[in-house]
Amino acid sequence: MAVQGRNWSSFLRRRKRVERPAPSIIAPQSRPADTTELQIAPDDPIIAYFQHSSGAVDIEHLKLDSPALEAMRAASVRLVVPLVSQGELIGLLNLGPRLSQQEYSTDDRALLNNLATQTAPAVRVAQLVRQKQVEDQARERIDQELRVARHIQQTLLPKRLPQFPGWQLGAHYQPARAVGGDFYDFLELSDGRLGLVVGDVTDKGVPAALVMASTRSVLRAAASRLESPGVVLGRVNDLVHPDVPPNMFITCMYAILNPVNGNLVYANAGHDLPFHRHGSSVVELHARGMPLGLMPGMEYEENMTVLAPGDGVLFYSDGLVEAHNSRRQMFSFGRLQRLIAEHKETDAPLVPYLLHELERFTGPGWEQEDDITLVTLQRSEEVMAAGLARHEHDDKTSDTGRVLLTQFTIPSEAGNERIAMRQVADAVRQLELPPERVEKLKTAVAEATMNAMEHGNKFQPEVPVTVRVYASHAALSVGITDQGGAPPDMGARAQKPDIEAKLANLQTARGWGLFLIENMVDELHVTSGEHTHTVELVLKLTGGNDGDDPA
Amino acid sequence: MNQAQVTLSVRQPRPTVGVIDVRGDLTAFAEDLLMDAYKEATTNGARNIVLNFEGLEYMNSSGIGLLVTLLIRANRHKQKLLACGLSDHYVRIFELTRLNEAIGMYARESYALAALPE
Repeated sequence: MAVQGRNWSSFLRRRKRVERPAPSIIAPQSRPADTTELQIAPDDPIIAYFQHSSGAVDIEHLKLDSPALEAMRAASVRLVVPLVSQGELIGLLNLGPRLSQQEYSTDDRALLNNLATQTAPAVRVAQLVRQKQVEDQARERIDQELRVARHIQQTLLPKRLPQFPGWQLGAHYQPARAVGGDFYDFLELSDGRLGLVVGDVTDKGVPAALVMASTRSVLRAAASRLESPGVVLGRVNDLVHPDVPPNMFITCMYAILNPVNGNLVYANAGHDLPFHRHGSSVVELHARGMPLGLMPGMEYEENMTVLAPGDGVLFYSDGLVEAHNSRRQMFSFGRLQRLIAEHKETDAPLVPYLLHELERFTGPGWEQEDDITLVTLQRSEEVMAAGLARHEHDDKTSDTGRVLLTQFTIPSEAGNERIAMRQVADAVRQLELPPERVEKLKTAVAEATMNAMEHGNKFQPEVPVTVRVYASHAALSVGITDQGGAPPDMGARAQKPDIEAKLANLQTARGWGLFLIENMVDELHVTSGEHTHTVELVLKLTGGNDGDDPA
Repeated sequence: MNQAQVTLSVRQPRPTVGVIDVRGDLTAFAEDLLMDAYKEATTNGARNIVLNFEGLEYMNSSGIGLLVTLLIRANRHKQKLLACGLSDHYVRIFELTRLNEAIGMYARESYALAALPE
């Protein structure tokens, strides 16, 4: 038996989670193929009515204050068969008047009810499949965007930690699922200092990643000019401001470490204040400044601290301090400060220690809300060994606690010692030595370079003299190497120049070079290889005399 | 770089005194210029030579050797050599080399001139 109605209709649509579905019906038209979709408001009482009715409903005499009911009547719907699956109304079969103009019979209704019972689960399955397809597509779009953002971000984060003898650097970046705009960077500046950057873009996803990428590039370019942190942040702010979208800005901390003397100069564009631990005290490193990208022409306060042996600094982003536990308590700055004070470097490095504490605080199943970035800078306890020449043979320069300040070569032409002198003076400027010590070093470098060019390399311009300048906590070392190998006769050194002998023509007027060198520096080491000859000049930086004693 | 980065000019504030102003670098490149300046400063029979180092930028061991050579010549001709205007660093080097024992050293030219007989 067939039910001859003018048309069918359709299904309530399920939308995502929270929203109530806005059901719709497809109303019958004059021909079966023509349908009109009618929406049923979520609060329409007819939904509850259909949900609890058993079987086909004749709507002609139904008394409900329902816009959908009016719409169905207007569309000539006569009989409605609710499709209910697992207690949930998922659709309606709407029938117009029978084509025979007769009323629907009991058999018709039984058939329709039977049909509805079998159709409802199938429709439900179809709905779920459709819903899953839509959700999969949406998730794929989001995942694709996250992949792009994450790729941008991780491509730009440092691949390795810089190695500075006497210093330990640590970095940890843990992106939240949504990928925030955290970034950090290490800039090995040409003058031997280390720039440290920690920043956070206020937004997530691809837009934040792009702003982070451009800020990082601009900052790198500005920092390479060796300007102070405050000047660099001011310049970066002016450069990025036109390109940062409204409602987005960047907080950023920029510090420059002098690894030789532990001076840390820093400026801050609205970023969380780093913590400096000295002994058992932990203090914030304050410097005022607006976040980057808000408005041009900003000035950034600049401050300095000195990191003594054993001191450490933690740079971080707000993902750590603003992490919440299940009781909605915040990790907080105070807790972080206390943990740093309690932490003993001998037990575990600071980063894993803090992550462990964070895990203890949040408990299992914690969903990370924001990126977490931690950058640590720790100065070793031990005092570096002086006397760099002793390491010449094993060449383990990276283990000796010394830093290469500069290395260069010059052609062996008379007069070029002035180049060596100037470049060494430039390289040691960061050590802030007393001017008279710098003058002595310059004289010693010039004399040693002259000897290398003349006696070692025979003034052959194509044979270079190599100059290397190292510094450690305890000593400054300048190595000057020629290609002459061991000098054939060291006898010249034995004869100490004597002004009276010279005036009496018992010595040549010249021959002052080595004598000057010996009196300008604290230590003089000479090493020869098969093809090279190196004079190493050492100035002690702590505890030694300053070379003033001419005895 | 391979040329004299120095200018030497000679003045004679008094008939008995020749002043040589040294500006720039006193290195091996300055040898001929320094010996010429010495001759010029003593042409008129001046027996005192004052080397004014206020404009000295750099002196190396070769420059010190030149001063020793000059000193030997001056001694031979019974002339007196004085120096003024040296920076602290080069005063220290004069002391180290004991050049200060053979060359009278003064902070300023006026002090050197005042120390010489009219």
